Amino acid sequence: MSLPRLASLLFILVLLLTACTPASPTTPEIPTTAALSEPTDVPTDVAATESVDQSISGKLVIYSGRSEPLIQPVIDAFKAEYPEVEVLLKAGSNSEIANALIEEQANTQADLFITTELFTVQSLAQQGIFQPYRSTAADQLPPEFVDPNNNWIGLTLRARVIMYNTDLVALEDLPTSIFDLTDPKWKGKIAAAGSTNGSMQAQIAAMRQLLGEEKTEAWLQGLLANEVTFFGGHTDVRKAVGAGEFALGLVNHYYYHLQLDEGSKVGVIYPDQGEGQLGLITNATAVAVVKGAQNVSAAQAFVDFLVSEQGQKLFAEQNYEYPLLPGVSLRDGVQPLESFRLAEVNVAEAALDSDATFDLMEKLGLP
Amino acid sequence: MIALDVQHLSKRFYSGQTPAVFDVSFTVQQGEIIVLVGPSGCGKTTTLRLIAGLERPDAGEIYLGGQIAASQGTFLPPEQRGIGMVFQDHALFPHLNVYDNIAFGLRGKPSAEIRQTVRELLNMVGLEPLAKRFPHALSGGERQRVALARALAPHPVLVLMDEPFSSLDTDLRLEMREQVRSLLKAMNASVVFVTHDQEEALYMGDRLAVFQKGRLEQLGTPEQVFQNSATRFVAEFMGNSAFLSGEVIPGGIQTEVGLLSQPVNLPTGSQVELAVRVDDLDFYPDPAGNAVIVERIFRGVQNVYRLRLDSGLTLQAFKEHITMLPVGQRIQAKLNPGHPLNVFPASH
Amino acid sequence: MNGSDAPMPPVLVSPLQRLRAASNRLTTRSAFPVLLAGLAGLVALFLAVPVVYIFLRAVGADGEAWQRLLQARLWKLLGNTLLLMLAVTGGALVTGASMAWLTERSDLPGRKFFRWMFALPLAIPAYIGGIVHLALLRPRGGMLPRLLENLLGQPVYTPSPLGFWGAAFILILFTFPYVYLLSGAAFRSQHASLEEAARMLGYRPLRTFFSVTLPAMRPGLLAGALLVALDILAEYGTVALLRYETFSSAIFVQLSGRYDRSAAAVLSGVLVGLAVIILWAELRSQGRARFTQMESSWRPAPTIRLVKWRIPALLVAGGVAFTSLLVPVGVLTTWSIQAVLDPETLRSVLHSGSMGFSNFAWNSLWTSFLAALLAITLSVPVALFSVRHPSRISRFIARVCQVGYAIPGVVIALSLVLLVNRALPFLYATPFIVVIAYVLRHVPQAVRASEAALNQVSPTLEEAARVSGRTPVQAFVQVSFPLILPGLLAGGALVFLTSLKELPATLLLRPAGFDTLAVRVWVWASDGFYVQAAPAALFLVLISAVPLSFLLRREQIFK
Repeated sequence: MSLPRLASLLFILVLLLTACTPASPTTPEIPTTAALSEPTDVPTDVAATESVDQSISGKLVIYSGRSEPLIQPVIDAFKAEYPEVEVLLKAGSNSEIANALIEEQANTQADLFITTELFTVQSLAQQGIFQPYRSTAADQLPPEFVDPNNNWIGLTLRARVIMYNTDLVALEDLPTSIFDLTDPKWKGKIAAAGSTNGSMQAQIAAMRQLLGEEKTEAWLQGLLANEVTFFGGHTDVRKAVGAGEFALGLVNHYYYHLQLDEGSKVGVIYPDQGEGQLGLITNATAVAVVKGAQNVSAAQAFVDFLVSEQGQKLFAEQNYEYPLLPGVSLRDGVQPLESFRLAEVNVAEAALDSDATFDLMEKLGLP
Repeated sequence: MIALDVQHLSKRFYSGQTPAVFDVSFTVQQGEIIVLVGPSGCGKTTTLRLIAGLERPDAGEIYLGGQIAASQGTFLPPEQRGIGMVFQDHALFPHLNVYDNIAFGLRGKPSAEIRQTVRELLNMVGLEPLAKRFPHALSGGERQRVALARALAPHPVLVLMDEPFSSLDTDLRLEMREQVRSLLKAMNASVVFVTHDQEEALYMGDRLAVFQKGRLEQLGTPEQVFQNSATRFVAEFMGNSAFLSGEVIPGGIQTEVGLLSQPVNLPTGSQVELAVRVDDLDFYPDPAGNAVIVERIFRGVQNVYRLRLDSGLTLQAFKEHITMLPVGQRIQAKLNPGHPLNVFPASH
Repeated sequence: MNGSDAPMPPVLVSPLQRLRAASNRLTTRSAFPVLLAGLAGLVALFLAVPVVYIFLRAVGADGEAWQRLLQARLWKLLGNTLLLMLAVTGGALVTGASMAWLTERSDLPGRKFFRWMFALPLAIPAYIGGIVHLALLRPRGGMLPRLLENLLGQPVYTPSPLGFWGAAFILILFTFPYVYLLSGAAFRSQHASLEEAARMLGYRPLRTFFSVTLPAMRPGLLAGALLVALDILAEYGTVALLRYETFSSAIFVQLSGRYDRSAAAVLSGVLVGLAVIILWAELRSQGRARFTQMESSWRPAPTIRLVKWRIPALLVAGGVAFTSLLVPVGVLTTWSIQAVLDPETLRSVLHSGSMGFSNFAWNSLWTSFLAALLAITLSVPVALFSVRHPSRISRFIARVCQVGYAIPGVVIALSLVLLVNRALPFLYATPFIVVIAYVLRHVPQAVRASEAALNQVSPTLEEAARVSGRTPVQAFVQVSFPLILPGLLAGGALVFLTSLKELPATLLLRPAGFDTLAVRVWVWASDGFYVQAAPAALFLVLISAVPLSFLLRREQIFK
């Protein structure tokens, strides 16, 4: 065979392979111009069916800001329920996934977006990334955790706490506020998640709203001056504190429980409960159906599953989170949120300002 | 019949530079061996490659067996010229054995014919037992013969040989010369042979084409080129001539080493230069002579002496090996009578 | 070749004239070189587009992005990156050259064994080595400090693998083989007469080494050093893991940060600029390294007897082999056994993420294989054009094809995300975009291999085929191709090996549910699940060792 013929054959082969690849969308294009201008006050006439359609099948592409170990058990349970659905997961940092969704607006890949905090999902909703869907369970959730336009629905709550290594910190030395973390006595002894972590971003966004730019900046500068070590994720933080590498760790509450499960000598502080203090900062996780999704029925079934009693129980049991569906009990050892004073954040308002949060982190050079 | 006809061939690699080949014309008769000879960089190899079709000429025509191969507007690629070529490095295909190397140019012929032809050639070059060998397991001479057999196998109109013996050592080279020449003659092959070795050129060629700086300086039989050199360069290159000044007088040419009685087509009183080779000069010891021995070079059968004339010019002459004269010996040098010499008008 | 008979230029020729002459030659010659030139040009274009695109994005970024970066990050990143690059390059040079001296010039016992020991770390991606050493040495949390604490009853200070020193240490361990192999070859090709001449002139052995032996190896050492430097610029996994911020890791953070690509583009532009400077130096040193040729009178330089230094030398060589090869492989093997023995872990290894172990192992294999095949295919016209038709144009094209060396994985990923999503949306979010990234990054290796192979084949062989009645294409297929095939396979093996190890581009470009071994190892290990990660890591190392040993066995001394 001559070379040109060989070469052209190769190219054709490659093109064929590319064309046949399953992940590439073959369904008709979605109107992309509408995506940006479409009003978000779509009537909630998208009916949710109570009885699950067992014929739901096909590929379901989930983009998750929750890290893989925190979502995989739920996916496994879902697959047991819907064996015909093939779930493809892309897990990454919250904002990395959000970037991908924005990038792919004209070339939608994902069916579902799961996030670790509400600012991102709110901001993306304002950009018209999602399509409305109201799950029947939505009526049972606290209304502040359901988007008025049904673009997203909340799943769980997590509290921002300080975990500590009981070998390294005496009880009388324990911090009571996140502002104690800037105390020089903790210099070099604190671990936290860095600027790419959704929960950390949400904490900063919340503090900016509650305390203002200046105080938040001062706090972050205090952390930097105290040589806080910033990790990519919280698993690293909890393991480092558990191992005694650091005395304190700024984490979500369930990381304390997970580390405790591994037999480490760790304790937890729910900070800022005093009079005049900030209160406990919480983040809600949420899910949204992506506009232009290839498999809307499976995506909606997955949303329903997540807010169902079964799904909520999984989050509570497997990951010690606070389920938003009333009546689902907490896992043993998790302190109910009702016992704390919570910081109250206006999510919609904070979301409008998300760029300023990134500006602040970048200005300070937060790792 | 004319195997090759080259007309006004020119080739320049870089514009603004001297052409590699300029206005070269010659023909090769059927069965004739023509040798392109000259120093390296003279254009002989480029001419060969132009004939092969490995380079494209800027001007001129090439006819192969009467068919046009290259001209303004026509260019036959090498694979359509029906030429055989022996390369300087032999260019045997390392991944093919001797048999397949020779059969390479016979593709498309009936297999019985291929077998027949290859057998014949193997026989002719004496390599039948080595048919299954690969090139890396052959000696230099064997490789040489395979390369020749491969070039001859398709019965080409013309065989091109590019310094084919240069990679062999001296003894083998002399032996191969004889073998190859008789083989080529036995096959009545038309050959263009390139070499920089004048001795090889004189031996191999029916006719010689002497090249210098891209130009064809002289075309003729070995004897013509050697004895009647057309230019000073040819005389110098063929036979390592030295140049002796002289003046035309009635009856010959007067030089420092005696009178050359040879008719010249120049007016009396003209300054000329004579090309003197090692065999054209004789000498004998003479304390009142006109030269002195400055060096003796022992060449086995001969002693070659370098003689400095009183004018300062150095010439060479030989004596048989039993005659030994010391350096510093004063001698009388004279031209050998009866040796016609090439005469050129004085260059400056 | 026309070189031997072409007259020396009698007059100076301007570059413009020469260029015109070269293009004349192209147009006046037959169609084949024109076809080659076209193909090679297309390959160069394909390779250059992502770099040019990122450059344009960087230059076109609004002044504010530049301002912000200049104020806060750029200088620090530049300092960090250059510091690490210098430290690792220096460390790799010292380690690689001294190990090469020990195995090639001294009478160190077990030289053959050590040659393999010093070459095989190339099968271990630096981030996997980093994971192992981090788990071992992490202050207080690491296995070694804990062991010491248990033994001695109190915390003991151990050097931390984190930060600058840790990153430099790990990267030296896994990049020194480049220098080792190149300087080993240089040591072996050295003339005995070189040192003998120096000794005759009154130089003592040590002085001879520093004033003759070492300088004669400069081209080989320089080539190795620059390869290491380019590697460090592109390194993502190790520096991210060991928490030392360089350009690559900062770009990664930018990509997963704010919803704005211009900052990432700016950083990428600076990084690519930096890498292009080093690549330029590397290409120049390549040209010079080619002059070290062996002549027929070559005699190997004699081995030097270590005498009383034998034991210390053995300890040092053993120490290097231990930390760079035996520790990572040993720890990974132990963890893998633990993982297999524990049913819970084994289940999560076999059915993790969206897919199982066999699925992402297969993904690693087929993407790397396809990348190798494509890279080699693309490299052939480029090599043919530059080796067989040398001119300014072909040299330029060959240089452009080297540019992949200078584009770190993160930058390729960023560029492809932006480009492909706009220009070729059907390719986006398919595994083929990952393959394209591998090809873009690794074609330079393939081009070098193909050029080297083609340089070994005399052009007269193709000419002999031509006069024997073959068209240029037939001559290539029947003569050159079979002869360069071993070289092409070696190039393919190299691309396969480096694609298997690739991490950052795969992380950023993979579609949902598409994991490779490298990604799996990274995802698990960055969450601290070392035992789960171990089987995949070990498997990755083992299959990387296959093409590597194929490459090494091409060398006489590794047979």
